[in-house]
Amino acid sequence: MAGSEPVSFMQQMVSLEYKLRASPVAVDFARRLCAGTITGHACPECGLVYTPPSGFCSICVVPTNTREHEVEIADRGTVTAFTIVNPIQYRGQKEREVYAVASILLDGASGTIGQQRLGDVDLDRVRMGMRVEAVWLPEEKRKDSAAMGAGLASAIHHWRPVDEPDTPLEEFAEHII
Amino acid sequence: MRDVAIVSFSQLRGDPEGGVPEVLMLVPVVLEAIEKSGVPRKQIGFTCSGSCDYLTGAPFAFVQNLAATGAWPPISESHLEMDGAWALQEAWVRLQHGDIDTALVFASGRPSNSDLREVLCLQLDPYYLMPLWPDYISLAALQAQALLARTGHTEKDLAEIVVRARRAALSNPNAEISGEFTASELLQAPYVSSPLRAHDCPPISDGAAAMVLVAGDRARDLCERPAWIRGIDHRIDAQYPGVRDLSVSPSARLAGEHAGVGRGPVEVAELAAAFSHEELILREALGLGDEVLVNPSGGALCSNPMVATGLIRIGEAFRQIHEQGRERVLAHASSGPCLQQNLVCVLEAD
Repeated sequence: MAGSEPVSFMQQMVSLEYKLRASPVAVDFARRLCAGTITGHACPECGLVYTPPSGFCSICVVPTNTREHEVEIADRGTVTAFTIVNPIQYRGQKEREVYAVASILLDGASGTIGQQRLGDVDLDRVRMGMRVEAVWLPEEKRKDSAAMGAGLASAIHHWRPVDEPDTPLEEFAEHII
Repeated sequence: MRDVAIVSFSQLRGDPEGGVPEVLMLVPVVLEAIEKSGVPRKQIGFTCSGSCDYLTGAPFAFVQNLAATGAWPPISESHLEMDGAWALQEAWVRLQHGDIDTALVFASGRPSNSDLREVLCLQLDPYYLMPLWPDYISLAALQAQALLARTGHTEKDLAEIVVRARRAALSNPNAEISGEFTASELLQAPYVSSPLRAHDCPPISDGAAAMVLVAGDRARDLCERPAWIRGIDHRIDAQYPGVRDLSVSPSARLAGEHAGVGRGPVEVAELAAAFSHEELILREALGLGDEVLVNPSGGALCSNPMVATGLIRIGEAFRQIHEQGRERVLAHASSGPCLQQNLVCVLEAD
């Protein structure tokens, strides 16, 4: 509009602090993870195995607990989906090289774990159905931050291919999305 | 209007310590409300929930809460960033469509994660008010001051409200604060923000609540004495507290009128008056005389799980009809600074 004042801008920095308390189920999971074991909870009704466990079956709505329903999960599984990341060098970006992340269906679990870093593999060899195993961080470098939702990366550095035949697609087809 | 009734209610006792994930707070209350209703979980036609991602501290935090309903195969649901009382109204509207008969309503809040004096600033006008970071207790104190100045009520009157609420809360197992006090002993406490003292302000705790609504005769089949929603309405005052006369609540008055409060005698009113002075403003706006029993549960002054408080008021009103044999009960919920938004619900027995 002619004659109107120019639009002015104001800057307002907002910072909110949250203190999250870890749930007992997540604390148990993190403790076992730091000791080198991935665990899950098996639903007493439908048998689905959740990892990391949340303390209930979200399909049956049945509570689960570490004492009665904990099961050990293998640190080995199948890549069900993956993406190759070309990190854009925005300010604060820590990644410099191209890398791969995958969803992995661990042996003994009923669902995939997402956002898992792959390593020790040529990126053009990464594929759905590929068998991988965990490369654990040295014990002193593992953190209990999985209790706060940090996931397996708090104790596992990356996943590398193992010399096993690929899992046939029909065995993980329902997990690819 | 299609007749819709509340047939069951469940609430988690407010937890001042916090630490239980929101979805795990919800699992037991959702299960209990569904079990008490007699409606099989898979047959519920619509689910509506209220929670606040700013309290949880994560975007889309409410999606995780849906897991408490066992949302597989997929369910029909909706969510509000509001107190669960507003979710109840949406469910009531949904039942008016006539194609489904049952709805689940639930609410959860986890204020233990954060400092409410900061977080609640973000519900204010973002340009002129929020940059001043006026905390919610100071804003409430401005309203209390305006009320005392206009009406001649005193700080002792406010303390008397607290005395009565805490005494009533003695019989409420879900209350966090209860006991026998006298106004003169309460008035010896220092101000938090003049004219409000700690006892005039609500406790802050995590909590959750759930209820099941059923339309028509099926409610009578399922429930001995359902509470029929015979009027429900919500209204909003201006967003900026500075343009309002804070000593009155036109939005509560209008909501009460449109909900039909005056169409018959009210035996009990459960008001979401989180601060003591709010009860005086609401009594006036809703035209509630001394004959009305206000907050027999102790109200929000004694238990205030953020975002579930309003739904709990409606649940307490349901109990008055279902368990206490009352005929006509009012429930109120509020949201925003200084009673900015008000919802009024009239429940009746058959």
